[in-house]
Amino acid sequence: MKNIIEVKNLTKEYRNLKAIDDLSFEVHEGEILGLLGPNGSGKSTTINCILSLLKFSKGSIKILGKEMKPDSYDIKKDLGVIFQEVAVFEELTVYENIDYFCGLYIKDKTTRKKYIKEAIELVGLEEFKKFYPKQLSGGLLRRLNIACGIAHKPKIIFLDEPTVAVDPQSRNSILDGIKKLRDQGATIVYTTHYMEEVEILCDRIIILDKGKVLATGTSDKLKELAKIEEKVTIEINNLQPEQIEKIKQLENVDEVNYNVGNLIITYKKGKNNLGELIEHLKKENIKYNKIYSERPTLNDVFLELTGKELRD
Amino acid sequence: MFIHNFKYAFKTLFRNKMLIFWTFAFPIILGTFFNLAFSNIENSEKLDIINIAIIDNEDLKLDENKGIKEAFEQLSDEQNEDRLFYTQYVSEEKAKELLENDEISGYLIIEENKPKTVIKTNGINETILKYVTEQIMQTTKIVEDLATEKITKEIQSGNIKIDYQKIYQDVLDIASQDNVKIKNISNTNLSYTMIEFYTLIAMTCLYGGILGMTSINNSLANMGEVGKRTSVAPISKGKVIISSLLASYITQLIGLAILFAYTIFALKIDYGTNLPLIILLSLTGSLAGLSLGIAVATLVKSNENVKTGILIAVTMFGCFLSGMMGITMKYIVDKNIPIVNKLNPASMITDGFYSLYYYDTFDRYFFNIASLLIFSGILILISVRGLRRQKYDSI
Repeated sequence: MKNIIEVKNLTKEYRNLKAIDDLSFEVHEGEILGLLGPNGSGKSTTINCILSLLKFSKGSIKILGKEMKPDSYDIKKDLGVIFQEVAVFEELTVYENIDYFCGLYIKDKTTRKKYIKEAIELVGLEEFKKFYPKQLSGGLLRRLNIACGIAHKPKIIFLDEPTVAVDPQSRNSILDGIKKLRDQGATIVYTTHYMEEVEILCDRIIILDKGKVLATGTSDKLKELAKIEEKVTIEINNLQPEQIEKIKQLENVDEVNYNVGNLIITYKKGKNNLGELIEHLKKENIKYNKIYSERPTLNDVFLELTGKELRD
Repeated sequence: MFIHNFKYAFKTLFRNKMLIFWTFAFPIILGTFFNLAFSNIENSEKLDIINIAIIDNEDLKLDENKGIKEAFEQLSDEQNEDRLFYTQYVSEEKAKELLENDEISGYLIIEENKPKTVIKTNGINETILKYVTEQIMQTTKIVEDLATEKITKEIQSGNIKIDYQKIYQDVLDIASQDNVKIKNISNTNLSYTMIEFYTLIAMTCLYGGILGMTSINNSLANMGEVGKRTSVAPISKGKVIISSLLASYITQLIGLAILFAYTIFALKIDYGTNLPLIILLSLTGSLAGLSLGIAVATLVKSNENVKTGILIAVTMFGCFLSGMMGITMKYIVDKNIPIVNKLNPASMITDGFYSLYYYDTFDRYFFNIASLLIFSGILILISVRGLRRQKYDSI
């Protein structure tokens, strides 16, 4: 598989703090690579270093086989960037904003017009072309932000937490749009601290914390690192300590936590754990409201690797 | 790409209500207030002859300060068409009495061979007396220095028969050609309103800095999100900055043109025959304003609101020192801490305007133009260091 981006031993220091610590990874052609990590884990700093906006202490960055520099215009013409904060002109309409940023890449007016139309359709802003940014909701503004970054049809797209503070409808629209861009042939680097998004969207995931790569792989591969097979959550009122002790004795049970009417049981292995648990509850005459079983999540992986929750 | 960026930079500036207020509306509002406030003082556009007194007694040795005495005699000469003063030579006690009774605008006393003006209130007459005294002092100093230099040269060349009369005449010829020659201002339309309008134009020129600052903020990655997006585009930073600054400068000039049109046609301000020179000074002043904005945007590490606040405060303070809230302030600064107004672009602009009225020659006017260009050049050079930076430590 062809490497579109190659980051080797990247280190970025702010005085005594290492924001990125010897980071190395590749982005393959046509994939969506997710950079997953809590706030402050170095996701945005990594993107800004790759884009040659930030100085870095050590390492090398190659895009399309060439070293990335601030004046690498031949590389930059193939890049599209959607920053975490909305980067548009308040004084320009939706159409004018997209035209301005697209015009920095595409000189030909006819081509540009066609591309702008397609970008507006992709993010679903057809009815808002003449609106000014302040007239748009937060979700629509995020969509405009995306349109400004991708209208010129870049080969490589960087999306830095594009769904922060976005309503569910706009979020779905944004995620659908990103899938379409990938289907059209773009290679995408997607940073987020929402694990659900990377699970839905990304072909490969890099989990970052404190500027270091903790793990890399597909969602399924990473979940194997969680060392648990199943997690069952039951809503039970007034569970007695002796009843909890009996549950701990059940086959394959690894850990039992009871907190505010919620019993969480984790299993390291086994196939019919839920069935056996229900049987036990019936036998012990324990009344419960809800019961559901989950496969391990990326949060469990993060918990396993760092001892803390992803959103801590 | 240059035209594309220029077009949109122009659009964003023109649609930015805050910028339009400070660069277009605010000077017009202020101009209207000036016109209303000073219209009552405008009954007489020509200056009357100013009553002054000079203290004359043996202790003060007025005769030893011939230059000053002769200059005031000339400016008080009844035969002189450009007569500026009606001068009485009196004792100090009498002068104090005349001043107390408002029979004179001020009096002159020689102390340690230096003239000192004493006034009771601040007004246009008092300001002219102070200003003329300062100019005479400067002229006298120049004459003395030139004469000393010439005599020293003669002595050094071994000439023992020095023709003092010829040297004196040569020096006078040079001094009369110099920019220290005071022009007749009794027949000009110099007035409070005009003085205020000059500082208003100076302020408008310097407010161009806000436009320059906005352009820089939109072009650089460490200044904001739009700057980040522009920085990752395949276009050189220089092209973006130059096209944006050009749009800012043209917007600024449109603002000035509107101000001139409004003051000339609506407020009936007469800029006289010097309008082209006033416009030239305004163009240069606007460049200085733009440079100030670029420097604040580049050198101050803070958010846009703080930078705008700093720029407006610096501009207003500069205008205050250059006489916007009273011409006396300019005089006080010129006399006590002249370096401040030498570095103050508002003062360079207003001084350039005054010089068109006070002097027959344009030396001082062009000196101010040159000062503004140097000021702009230095600020741009300092800013270039920050603007040329390709990568940042943090953004």
